[in-house]
Amino acid sequence: MRQAAAALFGAGFTVAACYAAGSLLIDQLRATLRQDERIPLAFILGAACLHLAIFAILALHIAYWPVLAGLLAATILAAIVTGAWRGAHTSIGKPVAPLSDSLRMVFGWCAGIFAVVYLVNAWAPEVSPDGAGYHLGLVARELRVHGFEPLTNDMYAMLSQGVEMLFVPAFAIGRHSAAALVHFAFSVALALAMLAYGRRIGKPWAGAAGALLTFASPVVGADASAAYVDVATAAIVFGAFYWTEVWDEQRHMSLLIPVGLLAGYAYAAKYTAFPIAIYALGLVAWRGRRLRPIGKSLRPVLLVAGCALIMAGPWIARNWIWYQNPVAPFANSIFRNPYVHVMFEHDYSERLRHYGMPSLWPLALEATLRGGYVSGIIGPAFLLLPVALAALRFQAGRRLVLAGALMFSTYFANIGARFLIPSLPFFSLAIGLAFGEAATLLAALMLIHAAASWPPILNHYVNANCWRLVRFPYKAALRITPPEDFLRKNSQGYSAAQMIDQKVPGNEPVFSMDGIPDSYTRHPILLYYESASNETLADTINMGWNAAEQPILSRVFSFPERKARRMRVVQTAEGFYPHQWNVYELRFFYHGAELARKLDWRLQAWPNPWEVQLAFDNSLATRWRSGETASPGMYLDVDFGRDEPVDEVRLIVSGDSELTRLQLESASSTGTWEKIAKNPTVMQHDVPKGIRRMATYELHARGIHYLMVADKSNGAEDFAEDPEAWGLKLIGHTEGERLYQTIW
Amino acid sequence: MKRRLGLVCAPVLMASACRNMPGPFAPPVQRQPLEDFRPYRMSAIVDMADEDAKTHFVRDLTSNASATWRWTGQWPTLRVRMRSVENVRYTIDFAIAGAMLAKTGPMTVSFLVNDRVLGRIRYKHEGAQHFEKAVPAGWVTAGEDITVGASVNKPWTPPEGGPPLGIMLTRIGLTQ
Repeated sequence: MRQAAAALFGAGFTVAACYAAGSLLIDQLRATLRQDERIPLAFILGAACLHLAIFAILALHIAYWPVLAGLLAATILAAIVTGAWRGAHTSIGKPVAPLSDSLRMVFGWCAGIFAVVYLVNAWAPEVSPDGAGYHLGLVARELRVHGFEPLTNDMYAMLSQGVEMLFVPAFAIGRHSAAALVHFAFSVALALAMLAYGRRIGKPWAGAAGALLTFASPVVGADASAAYVDVATAAIVFGAFYWTEVWDEQRHMSLLIPVGLLAGYAYAAKYTAFPIAIYALGLVAWRGRRLRPIGKSLRPVLLVAGCALIMAGPWIARNWIWYQNPVAPFANSIFRNPYVHVMFEHDYSERLRHYGMPSLWPLALEATLRGGYVSGIIGPAFLLLPVALAALRFQAGRRLVLAGALMFSTYFANIGARFLIPSLPFFSLAIGLAFGEAATLLAALMLIHAAASWPPILNHYVNANCWRLVRFPYKAALRITPPEDFLRKNSQGYSAAQMIDQKVPGNEPVFSMDGIPDSYTRHPILLYYESASNETLADTINMGWNAAEQPILSRVFSFPERKARRMRVVQTAEGFYPHQWNVYELRFFYHGAELARKLDWRLQAWPNPWEVQLAFDNSLATRWRSGETASPGMYLDVDFGRDEPVDEVRLIVSGDSELTRLQLESASSTGTWEKIAKNPTVMQHDVPKGIRRMATYELHARGIHYLMVADKSNGAEDFAEDPEAWGLKLIGHTEGERLYQTIW
Repeated sequence: MKRRLGLVCAPVLMASACRNMPGPFAPPVQRQPLEDFRPYRMSAIVDMADEDAKTHFVRDLTSNASATWRWTGQWPTLRVRMRSVENVRYTIDFAIAGAMLAKTGPMTVSFLVNDRVLGRIRYKHEGAQHFEKAVPAGWVTAGEDITVGASVNKPWTPPEGGPPLGIMLTRIGLTQ
């Protein structure tokens, strides 16, 4: 019960501090806002401000409990003392008509019931894969070390963590559930802001319908009840949009500050939310286009851009400094770095664009009705989206459709249903607006949507794999059911995480071929795909059992003896995705004897220069890979430091290397490259007998002594049947996961 | 104005034009050549302390166990698998309980591979025992299940009842 109270307190304290911070700023802005719009807008704006303060705390490595609690308490106190808490300095403007009883009843009951379901799910121990995995895994890690640290082997750590910054104090006080409850608070704020927006434009029924369409959407419910960030992102995006409306009505420059801050914070929350900054800048520029001189019309735009940069800039700078890529883990072919392979980004993006769907034609039905592929549905009511075009007859409708379309523009980069969430508020309101103020129709729409989204009814029509709320775990929320029991039953990988804590000493890292909920273990989990170095290790491990990846061929260049100071092998064929150029070893010979590698040799490669040493480490269990599709001009280059006699060059490659074409070149005294030979002969040889053990040695040599393999992983049988052949010892086995230790 | 714009743009363009390339690398530490690798001594030993020991049980392994050993019945049998079967040796570590010997007198344990008797020893004294012997060629097949076990001629039923007990098994299996 104490845990349940701590979770509620942690979340409540954080949410109150967000509201307080927002109230303080709004009071300074002297904005005119009604109370019903000031509350959600203050919370969302305050979240942006607080996120920056927590970023600073983590950057300074002072993220201790008293510092975080002090920040929250001081913010709340300041808001109370100055009167900002109750909006003492915020004008409420002209009154609007109160909501009708029928609207209150339909919206209130429907939203209220869903809110209780979400609240209970958020309050229960966190079981969502990404929430318990990287969202809170990173938060837990940051709290363990009291600050940020560069995690070059975790691509998720490279993403901006705007919302996770708010999870930090909540988690420090009330652990996982507190963070999920903070996210739930964003869903409530979003619904209230949408409701208030309807009143602002004089269409309360449209606002209520829009708010309920979004709030009761099944994927919104599942997301808002977990420590995810999508619903928070939607709230931030809608907040930015709302402030543009407020500015447009009141035209005070100061009102562009929240517009810019929230536009930047949207990027900090989720990269794909950046189009709201385009919307905000575009609207501000458009509305000021007639101002003269030109500097006067530019000033509002620069103010928005500057404020946006205040929020997004720290994340961009962090990534540029730590990961050599301001938008890490993306755009790696532009911002080349040793941490993420270009090929991985290609693979990953490709998967996210299709989610295994054979064709995207049924995507509309998949995202609204089935949800098996795209992990969730937004609800059948959104099949009415074309109706939203009827909202174009209103200025508000045009703006909503434009903002929604901009937010939707990034959707096809990741077709997961939750990636629709940031555009839902706009489309929902546009659908509502399309019906004007036809109360009966809109009430019917709300009731039908609520019924269709009600979890037991969802079970009748969605795919069994559709991500949705499936339980009402009030006993787990109140901790009547022990969290341990609930988690073991409902969290995939929780038992494995606990096993790691029991069996692995200290803070030793564990290399895993399967996802583990990081936030439930104190050990760093190196997941096989999460970075270039992890991928390289996984490639080495897979080489132990996968014949297709083993070194079985040599490509041999034989040529008349010559003296060379610098030689390179150039790949000349245009490959096709996903074919890479791989070289296990590159060896030079003279009269049949290999030239011993000397420390003054200098090795280079293009692309993927950082891993060139893998082709020169004398291990057939490691290989240099181009890290992107093979293309002409790729090379491996060796400078011997002096003239060396050479008459043969060998590359050891895998069986799938027939698509590459190679030529050998030597640098002349003037530095130009001279072709020596092409079309190397191919020799076949046996797979090294100890390749499994050699693969494990690479793990061990990098200071990694523990390996987790899921029973369902490819090659898992090979480990399980004969761990000793791998130089491994099984030290733990639970719910389909085996934990091995290296025995060197 | 143009000059000012140039001053602003030039460093930005230069920075974006810089290719993030590291300098050349020296050859790394050389791994041991393959032929120098310590030849791997294959084994398929089931240790009673192993997490997955139970997955190898075929019959007559009781639930009466400590962290490192387990009481067997009269014919304890386990299943293992080998990738290759050259120079295979049977190996077993177990203990004989004094209380049992006091009741049954000296006992004979037969050691079995695929239900064929590899060896037989008569034990008169309590304590830890080890038996190891080469398995004749042809008794086992690579890549197929192999049963390893033992047979006790005089099982003992403890006074408090329960199933008849044989030996206190610690580990059993095949090595190369």
